[in-house]
Amino acid sequence: MSALIEFDDVCKYYQMGDTTVKAVDHISMQIHKGEFVAIVGQSGSGKSTCMNIIGCLDVPTSGTYRLNGRDVGSMSKNELAEIRNELLGFIFQQYNLLPKLTLMENVELPLIYAGLSRKEQQERARTALQQVGLGEKLNNKPSQLSGGQQQRASIARALAGGPAVILADEPTGALDSHTGREVLGILQKLHKEGNTVVLITHDNSIAVQAERIIRLEDGHIVYDGDAHSPEAVVQPTFSVQADEAEPEQEGSA
Amino acid sequence: MNLNMLYETVRQALKNIASNKFRTLLTMLGIIIGIMAVMIIVGLGNGLTQSMRDSVSSMGMNLLQVNVFGPRARNVDIDEMYAITEERPDLFSGISPIVNMDRTSSAVKVGTKSFSQTTAVGVSEAYAGMTGTTIAKGRGIQFVDCAEYKRVCVVGDYIDRVGYGGNAVGQTIKLGPNQFTIVGVAAPEVDDPSLQEGSSDDYVYIPYTTAQRVARNAVADTYGVTTVTEEQVAEGKAVLESNLQELTHSEDSYFVTSLSEVLNTFSSMIGMVVSVLTVIAAISLLVGGIGIMNIMMVSVAERTREIGIRKALGAKERSILALFVTEAATTSALGGLVGIVLGYGVSAAASPLVASLMGDTNMSISPSPSSVAIAFGVSVGIGILFGYLPAKRAARLNPIEALRYD
Repeated sequence: MSALIEFDDVCKYYQMGDTTVKAVDHISMQIHKGEFVAIVGQSGSGKSTCMNIIGCLDVPTSGTYRLNGRDVGSMSKNELAEIRNELLGFIFQQYNLLPKLTLMENVELPLIYAGLSRKEQQERARTALQQVGLGEKLNNKPSQLSGGQQQRASIARALAGGPAVILADEPTGALDSHTGREVLGILQKLHKEGNTVVLITHDNSIAVQAERIIRLEDGHIVYDGDAHSPEAVVQPTFSVQADEAEPEQEGSA
Repeated sequence: MNLNMLYETVRQALKNIASNKFRTLLTMLGIIIGIMAVMIIVGLGNGLTQSMRDSVSSMGMNLLQVNVFGPRARNVDIDEMYAITEERPDLFSGISPIVNMDRTSSAVKVGTKSFSQTTAVGVSEAYAGMTGTTIAKGRGIQFVDCAEYKRVCVVGDYIDRVGYGGNAVGQTIKLGPNQFTIVGVAAPEVDDPSLQEGSSDDYVYIPYTTAQRVARNAVADTYGVTTVTEEQVAEGKAVLESNLQELTHSEDSYFVTSLSEVLNTFSSMIGMVVSVLTVIAAISLLVGGIGIMNIMMVSVAERTREIGIRKALGAKERSILALFVTEAATTSALGGLVGIVLGYGVSAAASPLVASLMGDTNMSISPSPSSVAIAFGVSVGIGILFGYLPAKRAARLNPIEALRYD
């Protein structure tokens, strides 16, 4: 069976003035259907760029990224939008719900772009919100909810379209530890139900909730394996002021 | 884009407009004022044209006026003019000389009271019919009156009312030194009695032969001629002109105008004034459009994050474009509707005022249905036109940067 997400020598370079920033530097990896993977790394490690590429918000400078067997690098903006709508469900750190819309309307949004009928939009949105325990809050505005509830609503929005991959970017970053665990619990439940979940975080204690960890440093993969192996949570090497010449410089914990 | 998507787009645009009522109102103001101004101006033009048409058409659109002047005017006498029209009974239905008298012999006096605004002219028995005048009391000027130089006259409603308290028939009136017997009173044309003095209800008609006799220098230099049908006006004019050319051997000695021609000239003049004013009013539409563009630019900047979210969720460029264009078009269309309603309201309220200022009770400001349709179309068009640029900017936003924006 071919991989759902497949990076083959993927690079993403940015030009910043005179210097080239190698945000993602020759990464190859595969994520299969049904996996729960945490991509973990400090800021500047390239995990956000990685997420943008996986999420089809960005395309690699070189190398190929295949999502569900399709080469994303050669796609037009419209095709990328379609792929995002069809195959990806985003969960953001700041929830990113539209404040003027009710929860129902927020969850309906991706379904509108999918071109579903009005009836189907409403049915699916209601089901998704019930699934995350917000069946009573369908017509509330996001501002009337707690942070945890808002994040659950955004999970419902990610789920509603029946995506192949749920992509969660620091989903607990804005939450206290209790509600953070609650949200992680939902992600684990979704995984158990057969969904593929990719979690992006800087926090080891969050990352270990996944099955598999891919650790990034300076655009490279430094660990890829079982989340429960001792190596997975080894203290990261610090590169706060990343120096091109000495990328492996040890920092104090 | 399918119908379902269009529906969703309109729904979302309306929702956003509704959540920003005050700003939307301010944005619409330029369009409201512009559309209202255009509606009123076009309505005013329509009203003017219509009231002119109404007052002229009562006189008959088949009326031609012949003016003869200059040194060769003496070559044309009344008999010759009659001969010209009588030669073509299929074309001409009537003729009346119009003899304007000198001041002294046309000074109107009832008893000792002078009517300085009143005009006295000599006409034939056909004149009243030509100008659409109806005789309310007594009789009109008759053929015999002209043939026998009778000193009789028909007076307008004003003289009857003011001079004789409504009992003019059978009484005498003085034109200069001469006494005339009033044989008839014409029905009033102006509804408001206070406006009658000096108007088309303030006159004395006498037989043209008598007029020529009492006023020594009175030459019949003007004629009213009617054609059998309105369509023959142009032909009638040509026939009269060629005959007058033969008689005078000078193109500068006569002038034939048709009422419909005059009307058309006036209509096109009004039309021109209206178009110039409309263009000026349209400038405010332009300004309104720029206002919409401005607000849409602000809206796009404010909603950058929303655009990023929508794009992450699968909105294509054209969905974002459609969302903002629809919002601009809807705002503008709403402004247009408000402008149309206000335009109608102001027109209705101002009509009586304008009518009294114009001294014409028929006058009303009446925007035509087509101008309403055009006004609405234009306001939608402005929204699309000026909303496009901001919407394009929104559609082209990079989703990653847009998501990062606060």
